Amino acid sequence: MDSSLRQIANELLNTGKVNAIIGYIPVDGTTRTKPFIATKTDEVDKFVVNHNILNNLSVYLTKDEVKKNFKKIGIIAKGCDIKSIIALIQENQILRDDIVIIGVKCSGVYSDFDLQTLADKCISCEVREPHLFDYLVEMGDSSELRGEDRKLKVIRQIEAMNAEERWDFFENEFSRCIKCYACRQVCPLCYCERCIVDKTIPRWIESSAHKRGNFAWNLVRAFHLSGRCVGCGECERVCPMDIPLSLLNRKMMMVTQEEFNYKSGMDINVPTLIGSYDLKDNEEFIE
Amino acid sequence: MEEKFISQVKLQELCNELIDNNFDIFIPKEYGYQKLVKGENVTLDNSLKPTKSSFKDIIFPKAEPIIYYKKNKSDIEIIDPQINKKTNIILGAKPCDAKSVAIMSKVFNWDYKDEFFNIRAENTLIFGILCNFNDEFCFCTSVGLSPKSTEGSDLFLVPLNDGYGVRIISPKGEDFYQKYNSYFTTVDNKLIEEIESNVKEPDIVFDSEKVRNWIKENFEDSYWNTLGEYCLGCGQCAFVCPVCHCFDIVDEDYCYTEGRRMKNWDACQFEIFTLHASGHNPRDDQSKRYRQRISHKFKYYPEKFNEILCTGCGRCSRGCPVSIDIKKIVTEIGSFSEV
Amino acid sequence: MEMNKDNFEPKIVAFVCNWCTYTGADLAGTSRMKYKPNVRMIKLPCTGRIDPLFILKAFERGADGVLVSGCHPGDCHYNAGNFHARRRWIMFRKLLDFLGIDDSRIHFSWVSASEGKKFVDVVNGFTDKVKTRGPFTRFKKLNEEFIING
Repeated sequence: MDSSLRQIANELLNTGKVNAIIGYIPVDGTTRTKPFIATKTDEVDKFVVNHNILNNLSVYLTKDEVKKNFKKIGIIAKGCDIKSIIALIQENQILRDDIVIIGVKCSGVYSDFDLQTLADKCISCEVREPHLFDYLVEMGDSSELRGEDRKLKVIRQIEAMNAEERWDFFENEFSRCIKCYACRQVCPLCYCERCIVDKTIPRWIESSAHKRGNFAWNLVRAFHLSGRCVGCGECERVCPMDIPLSLLNRKMMMVTQEEFNYKSGMDINVPTLIGSYDLKDNEEFIE
Repeated sequence: MEEKFISQVKLQELCNELIDNNFDIFIPKEYGYQKLVKGENVTLDNSLKPTKSSFKDIIFPKAEPIIYYKKNKSDIEIIDPQINKKTNIILGAKPCDAKSVAIMSKVFNWDYKDEFFNIRAENTLIFGILCNFNDEFCFCTSVGLSPKSTEGSDLFLVPLNDGYGVRIISPKGEDFYQKYNSYFTTVDNKLIEEIESNVKEPDIVFDSEKVRNWIKENFEDSYWNTLGEYCLGCGQCAFVCPVCHCFDIVDEDYCYTEGRRMKNWDACQFEIFTLHASGHNPRDDQSKRYRQRISHKFKYYPEKFNEILCTGCGRCSRGCPVSIDIKKIVTEIGSFSEV
Repeated sequence: MEMNKDNFEPKIVAFVCNWCTYTGADLAGTSRMKYKPNVRMIKLPCTGRIDPLFILKAFERGADGVLVSGCHPGDCHYNAGNFHARRRWIMFRKLLDFLGIDDSRIHFSWVSASEGKKFVDVVNGFTDKVKTRGPFTRFKKLNEEFIING
């Protein structure tokens, strides 16, 4: 492990600048890593920074138990994680002063612990050098991973289909959904106290895992993330039925770029996309 | 001594005949158990890790109507659903999957005989297969199973050269064999026994008796607080588990005058699982919810039904977004009583 | 009666704002202007109130087309409601389009309180468009999982 990380972490805890540091520790006997919240300096030695740090730890910044127990938190974050932290700050879920960001100069992470190929999100990543941080550390193994942008190819294929084919494609994919809500729970930007799918009077989105309920859930979740999703890819990683959720979210990121020249999670001072408006927004489609 | 044998080619032909006779065959493939379309696609590789999700959906569907209602001018008509009595064949279930039906059957035939479960279980034939996989998440031997256990299977396949030795385990299996015995030949039992005795069994890592006793005596222990720290409360573990069976009942309308009551999968890890209509939630933090999961699997269910509500398949740990490992947790609990 | 392409009558659901489009539709009515009867109007205080969920629900429950209409930009009774709505619509229609629900099924318009004629044109034009497109069978088929079998 990088000795500078140990130094930084120790200093932060000792001086009381933070009450806890959220980072990654290895899972014994495997190549995996898992989240860990260190509150004492002797726990800091466990942290690692390597190609296996897949999790987006900023999801813990929205958890009640973490917010209750720790006033100021340090977090080890890759560029994509920093984007979601910035998105949370933009939406006033956390204060910039309550977070100390230990950025990671990332050379790519694996798509899955068992697959060891470069994650799709890393291929088009523009934040391998973090854009907002308080401290910076190197990744343990700085070998540059390379790969092919498979997801973009599939999006282009779908765009070339006609409406019926597109519908059939997504109906087929969503029919596998089991409504486990792992995608929602792991997403840092799904922080609503009560999610719309849990509202029973009236029942907007059916919680049953049939085709109608699945289509409604996935569509609404994609829409609620439009303009906010930073593309951390966690939802697709954790889906037990291998549903290609990132197709929808990535397509919406492309739409926000094209229509509004806006990228979520880049600048804490910019207002959120859906929360604001421009007098000159495109209205060619409106009669 | 002779035992039954079926060659790979004959198995493919058998599958084709079964498909033609309107049976649904499910084989483990990619993320779960998928329906076989052609016999030629049958490949049973028992050295692969368990699929991401189990075949629970076939016996206990993820969303199922339990009654339909229709509002007429003067009254409401209640209509019972017709449960599909089609025969399902699960081909190539590892012992950790094969036993799941037998384990769940205990609670579904306890104080009330659940027709929905029983009809489906009755019409399902399970071909178990000897398991040749072992990773850091497997622990079937610690919960009373093993890679060669035939519990829960109707027929049991042991891969041999160019085919499978077939052991008949249950009367249902015997009936099936009698009907389709033209596809089977025989093989020397010694060949099968040799494979079985050489199978690598995972080490036993905890004593389930000790685990149960510790859970019994230590409901308020601070150890439980450490478990809920990282859990995100998604239902992934409960939904991929071959034996988790909690469900939720919701009413849905099709239009103003027609609707249905649905039975859907539910998970004790969801925050709203124990939310009362008053707003009170007895299990209001993740530690309490995780304590429930472990206690139900390793204490409550064994005490009531003499079966551990876990087959040691490791799916929950492999799929957990934050790598929470049930094997490690239960091993740790088992070690507490040693002190 | 068998619904085929020739005698298919589409079901259109229109989400309209109270102050402009609804009043415009009223004007069309009081002026005795005839327009196609396929549209079912749902009045909301402002287009800003329109949650895209409403549009989804309309399709779920059998609509073949959805019309959304409100005040012209700058004329919103609540100042900026329609500006927020406009931005939402840009995103939502792109998402729907990606999923297979294209322009022929969902239509947006600005109709003011004095534009009775425009309202008639919008409704007639859209109804014709949906009629040529045909019934939205694919969404309806989703409903048919677990239909009463008794």
